Amino acid sequence: MLLGEPGLGMTRLGLVMLSGYTGGTVAYLDVRGWLSPVAAWEVGIEPDRLVIARCREAVRWGRAAAALLDGATAVLAEIPDGVKDAPIRKLAALARNRGTPLLLRPISRATPPGVAHLVLEAREVAWMGAGDGHGRIEQRKIRITASGKAMKGMTRTIEMEDDGSNALRVVSGVAATETRSAAG
Amino acid sequence: MWYPEWPLRRPGAPQDEPGQAVGADGRVEAVNAVAYAAGVRRGMRRGEAEGICPLVTTVERDHSAEMVAFERVVAEIEALVPKVEVVEPGLVFVPVAGAVGYYGGEDPLVERIVKEIDRVAGDGYRIGLADGPFAAQHAAAGATSDTPVHIVEDDAAFLASLDISAIGREEVVATFRWLGITTLGELARLPGSAITSRFGSVGLDAHRLASGRDRLPNPRDLPVDLTVVERFSPPLEDLEQAAFVARAMASRLVEALASVGAAPFRIVVEAEAVDGTTRSRTWRSADPLDDRAIAERVRWQLRAWIEGVGAGIRGGLAALRIEPAELSGMGRQLSLGEDARAASETHRALAETQAIVGMDGLLQAHPQGGREPGERVAWHRWGETPVRLRDLEAPWPGRVPGPSPTLVPPDPQPFHVEWDGGMPVRVRLGSRWVTVRSWAGPWRRVGRWWRGEEPGDQYQIVTSAGAFLCEIREGQTWMVGIYD
Repeated sequence: MLLGEPGLGMTRLGLVMLSGYTGGTVAYLDVRGWLSPVAAWEVGIEPDRLVIARCREAVRWGRAAAALLDGATAVLAEIPDGVKDAPIRKLAALARNRGTPLLLRPISRATPPGVAHLVLEAREVAWMGAGDGHGRIEQRKIRITASGKAMKGMTRTIEMEDDGSNALRVVSGVAATETRSAAG
Repeated sequence: MWYPEWPLRRPGAPQDEPGQAVGADGRVEAVNAVAYAAGVRRGMRRGEAEGICPLVTTVERDHSAEMVAFERVVAEIEALVPKVEVVEPGLVFVPVAGAVGYYGGEDPLVERIVKEIDRVAGDGYRIGLADGPFAAQHAAAGATSDTPVHIVEDDAAFLASLDISAIGREEVVATFRWLGITTLGELARLPGSAITSRFGSVGLDAHRLASGRDRLPNPRDLPVDLTVVERFSPPLEDLEQAAFVARAMASRLVEALASVGAAPFRIVVEAEAVDGTTRSRTWRSADPLDDRAIAERVRWQLRAWIEGVGAGIRGGLAALRIEPAELSGMGRQLSLGEDARAASETHRALAETQAIVGMDGLLQAHPQGGREPGERVAWHRWGETPVRLRDLEAPWPGRVPGPSPTLVPPDPQPFHVEWDGGMPVRVRLGSRWVTVRSWAGPWRRVGRWWRGEEPGDQYQIVTSAGAFLCEIREGQTWMVGIYD
């Protein structure tokens, strides 16, 4: 589960996590139609391996996500407004059953408790490189908190660095491998 | 019943000199006695074999030609025992359970078969008789030219004595050896669940074979009528025509089976001639057959019928049927990203998604040249061929540098920025105002004036809530990207 308002860096973090699953196809379920594949290529997902599904309606969202889970190596699904708790729980159960990693990214709704194995929530972002009209944005540091079953009830704060092209580097906090195991 | 040297029985193959037949993957699939004595073994790479035995004559395998010759043998066996299953030219499985009683025991039956095949095909056969096909094949493989018939009394005991390499899965055999498991018996003695949890489905398969339970991994009831039938009017007279149709039929069959999560291990090919005579033959395989394999087998069989012994297909082919005869639920056990079958599973799932979200809802993208993040993407529907519009390698001056925004709204969103002396001071996100920490730009976009586009300025604006790419055009500020 990836939480945080747009701008705090969770889309890129999600894409980096997707790029960690090699082989086969990775799917992004795009609710608004906003995802820029350029960013996905920058983190290392080959164009041929990325399939983007666009689905606005809450009604069809669950079925579309379930179908993607059937075929893809890993799925990052945005959750549109208006989806009830039940389809989300069902989807998480399906992902566990199939062993397919599922990353959920709610657009604005609150998330049902107990679904996610690992919850990553963006807290803060700081960009470096730009000044007062000079330079360009180059690198950012994001601070996220990790909680959920995978963290065994603890909440830890992780700080990561990201310069766009390569994977995120964990600056402090838990090891990167643990953030990779997010499912559900 | 197995003729290990069958691929070498054809004109051009050497008799008294070393000879080998290699398959499409460049590995040796058949060796004659002279080459065998020189050290060439089945499964070697071609180059390796030629290194060991430089004088060896190599022939490429030609399954359909081999099958033409082999058809005679199959026909003879089928006259004695019905429901013969062909695996490949040279290798057939004969279900003898009923025939043993009919001919009064295993020995008389084998004697009859040997007499008939000796008459049509001569020496070189190996016969293994066992409860399961896996054991039977290894019994045949273990038979020698002096004692070509090997009747296995107790499958489990026979298999237990075999070397671990008999399971034929190189990737696990090495590990098994390293773990000290050298025979199938040692493998069979281990608990199946432990093997499965350590080696997955490959291990499960190996364990099943080792314990002599090789009939079906995951038997399924035959769904009603998945047989594909094609009638031809006018009748087909050309083998290539028929083979072409067979390919389409095979993919239809595999697709239909995949939709119920099954994969065929055995198929029955049936051809109906214009004069009404029907011929049918069963083919089986140790691995589930995919559409290519099915189409190939149908082609071999048709050629064998047309060119081989017997009446041929008189007057042309009036109808062709492919019937799945033995299914397994292995279609459901595919692990993704592993092989072609997994790819077809992915394909099926994505096609289903496309049916849910609509043709334009499932997309793929490829890079193309362009300045704006949105322009640098060539979208196409999933399943269609990508079109590349603009040159990727060309320079695109005016491009905003740095990492690309991850979210690019298809239509720019209105964005409220407060300026003070030409510098952005704060921006509105939803209902709150956020202070600008730093900013970069502008990058000037001239715009396609010939199409009436106005020039615009792009800025990267960094706030505590993230960085945004915005554009000022005609006095209005738009948000064109979020660095999320």
